[in-house]
Amino acid sequence: MYWLMANLRQAGIIVRNEVFVLPSRIAVLVFVVALLALPIFTQDPYVLRIIILTSVFALLAASWDFLSGFTGQMNFGHALFFGVAAYTAAKLNLDLSIPPWGSIPLGAVGGVLAGLVVGIPCLRLRGAYLALTTLAFPIILMGVVFALPDFTGGELGISGLSRLSGSRVGDYYITGGCMLVFCFLMWKITDSKTGIILHAIREDEVACRSAGINTTRYKLMAFCISGFFAGISGGLYAHIMRLAGPSTLEVNTSFLVIIWSVFGGMVSIYGPVAGVFILFPMLEFLRFIPQARMLVFAFLVLLTLLYMPEGLIPWIRDKIEKVCPRCKARNLGTRSNCRVCNAVLD
Amino acid sequence: MRRLGLFLVILLAGLLVVGTSGPAQAVKPIKIGVAGPMSFTQGEGHWNGATLAAMEINEKGGVMVGGTKRPIELIKVDTNEFISIPDATNAMELAISRHNVDFLVGGFRSEAVLVMQDIAMDNKKIFIGCGAAHPKLCTRVTKDYDRYKYWFRLTPINSTFLGKVVFIQLGTVAAMMKKGLGVKDLSVAIIAEKAAWNEPIVAAAKKFLPKMGMKVAGVWRPSPVAKDVTAELGAIERSKANIIFTSFSASVGIPFAKQYGELKIAAPVVGINVEAQKDGFWKATGGKGNYAMTLNTYAKVKITDLTIPFYEKYLKTFGEAPNYTAGTYDAVYLLAKAAEKAGTINSDAVVKVLEKIKDVSTAGVVVFDKSHDVTWGPGYVTSLGTQWQDGKNMCVWPYKWKGVTYEGTVPIKFAPWVIKRYKK
Repeated sequence: MYWLMANLRQAGIIVRNEVFVLPSRIAVLVFVVALLALPIFTQDPYVLRIIILTSVFALLAASWDFLSGFTGQMNFGHALFFGVAAYTAAKLNLDLSIPPWGSIPLGAVGGVLAGLVVGIPCLRLRGAYLALTTLAFPIILMGVVFALPDFTGGELGISGLSRLSGSRVGDYYITGGCMLVFCFLMWKITDSKTGIILHAIREDEVACRSAGINTTRYKLMAFCISGFFAGISGGLYAHIMRLAGPSTLEVNTSFLVIIWSVFGGMVSIYGPVAGVFILFPMLEFLRFIPQARMLVFAFLVLLTLLYMPEGLIPWIRDKIEKVCPRCKARNLGTRSNCRVCNAVLD
Repeated sequence: MRRLGLFLVILLAGLLVVGTSGPAQAVKPIKIGVAGPMSFTQGEGHWNGATLAAMEINEKGGVMVGGTKRPIELIKVDTNEFISIPDATNAMELAISRHNVDFLVGGFRSEAVLVMQDIAMDNKKIFIGCGAAHPKLCTRVTKDYDRYKYWFRLTPINSTFLGKVVFIQLGTVAAMMKKGLGVKDLSVAIIAEKAAWNEPIVAAAKKFLPKMGMKVAGVWRPSPVAKDVTAELGAIERSKANIIFTSFSASVGIPFAKQYGELKIAAPVVGINVEAQKDGFWKATGGKGNYAMTLNTYAKVKITDLTIPFYEKYLKTFGEAPNYTAGTYDAVYLLAKAAEKAGTINSDAVVKVLEKIKDVSTAGVVVFDKSHDVTWGPGYVTSLGTQWQDGKNMCVWPYKWKGVTYEGTVPIKFAPWVIKRYKK
């Protein structure tokens, strides 16, 4: 009992000193609590389905940000990882009767392999050339899907997969939990030594190489890690829809991921997550104006990019928080001195 | 006095509320969700067909269920399935959980319909498919009857039969060429837009044409949105093909038909050209689309007594001829009749009636087989072949096929330049 109380007190101190000092961290905490508590207030299947899909796509968008935002490997064909994992999970589930808890991680391994397949030939490419080459891969795979209908199910895809769990609430917690855990993992990687190297590769690859960093290995690693997390989302998607079809490989899927990420704010992991959590449910909300739905969506994205080129979340964060010029720690916008080093803030 | 006034106002307001809500509570409408990509012509067809049927039924007082006449209320379910499958599933969930629809009709893209079907089955809602042709949608019923029994396909006939009809029409043209024009060894040029759905059709054409006693002169695959196909037509002409077999669903069908007429390619055209099913085809081709033939569902012929009145009313109401997704018209009627016969809108009871129903619809006599697929063949739903003849989209098939000729059907016409090639 005493041990529990001591730990709780410790946790309380951490929350007070590390979370409650910044509005952005409070926002993240509120988001996590709200996400986990939602089924207590409503179990409306429509609402839960939207949040389930939002969580799946949030993980996908964050995995794109890991590769394209942090490492600068502009990937226009992210649907490849998503689709490969969805098909792999579907085949394993249906042909080998592997349940979702096995087929989803194995599907993600498929995503890793897809990352390698794309990563190796793209190592020497940069910018627009890399973007266009990556765009080609899901299109090629879609051709293969249609060319081998007996294996891939052709235009109909592979259907009849096992359910993720027995209930909608179960699906909700699995997808929501996966999204939170894996996004946190990605964020931790970007915050680590490896993350700093990935960041440096994006800024100046030649300088990195001259510093003795094996950039090829790190770039390939970024493709594989991104492929793994995108693969998890692909596997989850396949089991929620109970189908892995050609739509998972469509160009539209790849472009949506980019739109969500750019809207939310790249190079942050949480930006793309916020982007999906705003835009995906918003499209549903706009069903009352079916004809203008896509127009409003496009207009909002355009406006955001015009006035907030860094994305919505970094823009809001910069408005309410300041970065210390000396120690780079973040502070509440109203503070005049840094909370860490006491330096005067602008 | 002031208090008394307030009391009277509240009393009157209360009476007004009770007065207005009374009839609405007494007659609860039957809600039918019309699912389709509403921003596209296919979804418009779904909605228009269902609207017309609901209008007619409601004008007659509604559907007699359990001694009460209940009106039909349609719920527009915009699935956006061409662009996003998750959108389609969300729309279905919204219709079922929020709008509390009793039945569902529509659907178009097979991949999306599979997922939509699962959502409807989870909720035990009858879903009548009016758009997706893939056979697997119905084989699910035979494989897992208890779960999928709420699914029925009304239109189109499944893709296996669609393929069969196209080849029968091709065989009819071939027979006419042999008999009427004296051509002995026929070769066929296959021209199909480069799209995934065309792969099995092209493969089937290559496989079956030799079995039908015809050679394959070559296969051409233009882009679905090509604006110019003169290169392909020139190559077809040089291949000396006797028949051109088309498979187009996109806009390429217009330049093909137009340039075919301009270049006067001496080979009749048969197959699928979705653009040629539309009213605007003649104008779009500047009248050059004469003799273009296509598989079709509706034409102004007497398939049954209901076809022409439906065709004319649809044309008058919406300013265009119905496409096959407008089969939601028959679907709504079918549901209304089944609910009346069952005396309830309970899904299990209505399924039992639908399984035994033999209903005269606008596209033929509807009988569902064991897999809940609409039966194809003479005396049932046959599908049609139509040909543009001097500005009119005429029904040309079935014509004396297994004893079936619908009133108003005319023989297939060959272009003068085709006749000239063989009758020198």
